[in-house]
Amino acid sequence: MAGTSNGTKASVQPIRSPSEQAETETTKAMEGLVAKPSFGRLLTVTAENTAALTRIGYDIADLVLRNLRLAGRADITSLARQLRRTEDKLERVLQEVESLRDQLPSESGATSADRDLVKRR
Amino acid sequence: MSVIERIRSAPSDALELANVLLTTDDAVVGATPREVIWTHGNTTLYRYRSAERCHAVPILLVFALINRPEIFDLRPGGSLVEFLLAEGFDVFLVDWGVPGEENAEMGLEEYVCDELHWAVRETLRASGAAELSLMGWCIGATLCAMYAGLDRGGESTSVRNLVLMTMPIDGRGSRYATWVGDEGFDVDGVAEAHRVIPGAGVDFANKLLKPVSNFWTTYRRVAQGISDGTFKRESYQPMAKWVADNPPFPGRAWAQWIRLMYRDDALARGHVRLRGRRVDLARIDQNLLIVTAAGDHIAPREGTMPIFDLVSSEDVTHFDRPGGHIGLIAGSAAVGEIWPDLAAWLGERSGR
Repeated sequence: MAGTSNGTKASVQPIRSPSEQAETETTKAMEGLVAKPSFGRLLTVTAENTAALTRIGYDIADLVLRNLRLAGRADITSLARQLRRTEDKLERVLQEVESLRDQLPSESGATSADRDLVKRR
Repeated sequence: MSVIERIRSAPSDALELANVLLTTDDAVVGATPREVIWTHGNTTLYRYRSAERCHAVPILLVFALINRPEIFDLRPGGSLVEFLLAEGFDVFLVDWGVPGEENAEMGLEEYVCDELHWAVRETLRASGAAELSLMGWCIGATLCAMYAGLDRGGESTSVRNLVLMTMPIDGRGSRYATWVGDEGFDVDGVAEAHRVIPGAGVDFANKLLKPVSNFWTTYRRVAQGISDGTFKRESYQPMAKWVADNPPFPGRAWAQWIRLMYRDDALARGHVRLRGRRVDLARIDQNLLIVTAAGDHIAPREGTMPIFDLVSSEDVTHFDRPGGHIGLIAGSAAVGEIWPDLAAWLGERSGR
């Protein structure tokens, strides 16, 4: 097996060596390129432009849907946000209930002890 | 195999390569049985029960906001969750879910003060334990550090052990800072327009850090492996599927993250406030394990090191290992190298 593997490497070495070297060089060059502040500026301006185009696209689509008397993305998002707020409040109420329930055994214990005391008197 | 034979096998190799790439989405990730303990909004808390539980303190795993947490449970035989269960730990995992536009207003305070805080609470309730081990990775580790450093008005946390893996706390030296650190970049405008930053955009930016490696070398190696007969489909496909699964980043949290991580040293300087409560890393007094990767280009080691001068923990351990940001913990070598050390460190500190 080892002999086969060595044989494989030897037979394809003349092809792979230059291509791997070219890949290594390209990797270094590209990593150098993306590390430059100018590349960063290019990237951020592209992101800003994409964001602006996205916003314009959303606004137009929502306008069309609204004029058709249909719920648009913004309406559905707003509904989902309200649902989330309601769930938040429910979660907080649930935590309070659980907290009160955790206190119950000791309180009920005290109450039954008091009852016992009253009976004994 | 001669060059002639290699040329002869090229069509079948090409077919195999196409098959590997086309069926990557069919790979099974996150196969360990689990149960849902708690949900809130998009957040879900899962529990993995150990049949051989021997440690009293459960582990809560927290991953980043930009990828799915299935990396903790990538594939059978290559799953950190599976490993920890076999070591006798009760394991919980917080999954941030896939945020939609309705979550655009979610900031770091929602993640730290609500979701993580409540996940800790529910973990303790479900396990019956008084304390837990919090294990965060990447942004998840930063969220854990923020949680541990949050001003609680003198009230102590329930975190006994804190494990922070490849955690950025000062990203100003990273390549991201070259890109987004400039004040001229309108981070709020982009966040507001997109509402949630598309996962594909975040993934593209991450891949641009090493463009040739990510867009070419990976696939060239797969093709070469197929040709040489050394390719392991069961290792490649789950990881490739996980890498390509990028949830959106809520716009507000993204903008906050860029500011605190790449524009100023807010976290290390104690300038971060969540709902008016100061995050001071000096409050971290838990048993602390910091894991850094020498070859980490996403969260370079230099960006983690300041934490050692900030925390007040008496029990501090540092694993500095060769490897990359993800490969260190989820790579095929991790099972024999870092996982046993992680489990041993936690095991020593997870008694009653």
